[in-house]
Amino acid sequence: MEKFIELLTQMNPFDLVQVVFWGLAGAISFYFSIGNARVWTSISSGFFLIFLSQAYGINPWSHYQKLTAFHYIIGTIAIMTITHGFLEYYIFCRTFEISGDKLIVYLSTLFVLVAAGAFLVINPTPSPNTIRNFKIVENAVWVFLCAINLEIIRKIYAAIKDSDIAKGFIAFGIVFVCILVWRGADLYLQIYQWDRDWQDIITLMTEESTDIADYMVRVQFAQEVNRYAGLLSGISVGGTFIYLYNLLK
Amino acid sequence: MFLLPKGNPIFESLAVSKLKLPDVLSKLSNGSLTGYASFIFSSHTAILVFESGNLISAIVEGKNGEKESGFSALSTLSELMVSTGSGALNVYKLSTDLAMCIHALVEGEMLYKAQELKLLNIKALLEKVKDDQMNGCLRVYTDDHSALIFYKNGNPLGFFHDGSSDIEISSTESQKIAGLPGAKMDLYATQSADELRKTNLLEVTNVQNLWEVCVVRHKAETDRLNLERQERDRKVVVQKCDELGEQVKALVEEYVGRVGRGIVEKVIADNGGNTCLLETERVDSVVRNIERSAKLLISGIKIRAMMEALTSLLSTARSEL
Repeated sequence: MEKFIELLTQMNPFDLVQVVFWGLAGAISFYFSIGNARVWTSISSGFFLIFLSQAYGINPWSHYQKLTAFHYIIGTIAIMTITHGFLEYYIFCRTFEISGDKLIVYLSTLFVLVAAGAFLVINPTPSPNTIRNFKIVENAVWVFLCAINLEIIRKIYAAIKDSDIAKGFIAFGIVFVCILVWRGADLYLQIYQWDRDWQDIITLMTEESTDIADYMVRVQFAQEVNRYAGLLSGISVGGTFIYLYNLLK
Repeated sequence: MFLLPKGNPIFESLAVSKLKLPDVLSKLSNGSLTGYASFIFSSHTAILVFESGNLISAIVEGKNGEKESGFSALSTLSELMVSTGSGALNVYKLSTDLAMCIHALVEGEMLYKAQELKLLNIKALLEKVKDDQMNGCLRVYTDDHSALIFYKNGNPLGFFHDGSSDIEISSTESQKIAGLPGAKMDLYATQSADELRKTNLLEVTNVQNLWEVCVVRHKAETDRLNLERQERDRKVVVQKCDELGEQVKALVEEYVGRVGRGIVEKVIADNGGNTCLLETERVDSVVRNIERSAKLLISGIKIRAMMEALTSLLSTARSEL
């Protein structure tokens, strides 16, 4: 506990606020998944997993590299689960078919998480570079699937625009725009090797040089965009689920 | 149809619907009936005249005056017995002479028809009947009354008029009718009883076969009508179900939006089409699935209002049908 409090005091207040918002969003979305129809289970479970992926900052054992890598894998699984949920909702809008079971969704997600954990356990301890690779993959998947989800949400909205819940999908659109910007900015920094992880790696472990000093303005801009878009993403997810809850009450 | 003397009743007012013509004829023939059997239907009357068990005349007359006799009459009688499901049978025993006169009346040769009595030398006519030793029947009638005078070998056997149940000896009523303004007469002649005994329609007609053909034809016709009725009823139900299906779609669309129409179409199709809306078990599944889908799209308050309206619409429609 002491270590946890020490971690919180060491954290950047902005990052701490972001984690708190993701915690609230995760709790609201998980609560929403319990009380609502099966189709919402994947979407809300996925948003809950984002909180778990973001919580590495307050994880007292995050210095274990396998656990750090696991946080990034959870992030990847989160967006895949969310996309699966939106795809199911879109299929429902087109075919009016509702199938499956909530428990199956929970168990399947848990199974994938366990499988990912097993993958990390049976493989060597990831180096900082490998962990960065996990993070790049996570961001790439997020950016790609956010773009896909925006298109799916557009189509869902077109199909149900005169229903009560249609405005809720506009809110989801805003959420994914925020997430796309948040993750896109991070991916941008990673692709050009201007991210903090790479800077740490080259300082401590390699003799490679960096051109970050030549592009400091755009790096700082991307970093700010990443921070604020991340915060807005957390707030918008929590707000969206509260809004949905009111729409479906 | 003429009113006929009742004679000695053997059966009266037997329900025809429970009888089979071959059995009736066989029973009357085997019982060596001399007399007649009358079948009274709402639209027709049939008279079968027997002499010593021989069927000497068969006549069927409709309310509008059309007459059939012989084989044709037996065929029509079979059809009437099979198809009408109502009617009464009366069987009366008569003397051979009277049976012969009844035969003359229903199927004999008509010598004179609708002759006005005031223009006729009735005395000369009666002398001719006597001189020719005629067997037959003289019918005297006006628009409202009629009387029959039966003759055997030119001698009157008795008198029968409307309202009487048997042959009378008194000629008073007949004379009274003959004296009425506009009175007319018909004269029917027939063969002698001895010659009539040689005639038996039952020997030349396969009544059993006739009856079976009628039964088969009637069954085929009944089946066809039942099928037509069922098809008609089915079409009415299908049409009502289609209308109900449209009403359900409109109602759900009103609460859920355009997508609601698609939800109802899908749920109804999954449950076998619009007719499921009238089946208690399947309609529950329909309502449950509509509610399940609507939960993804609208608020709980709206769902409750929609379900109330939907349940009311379906129960009203089912009670009407």
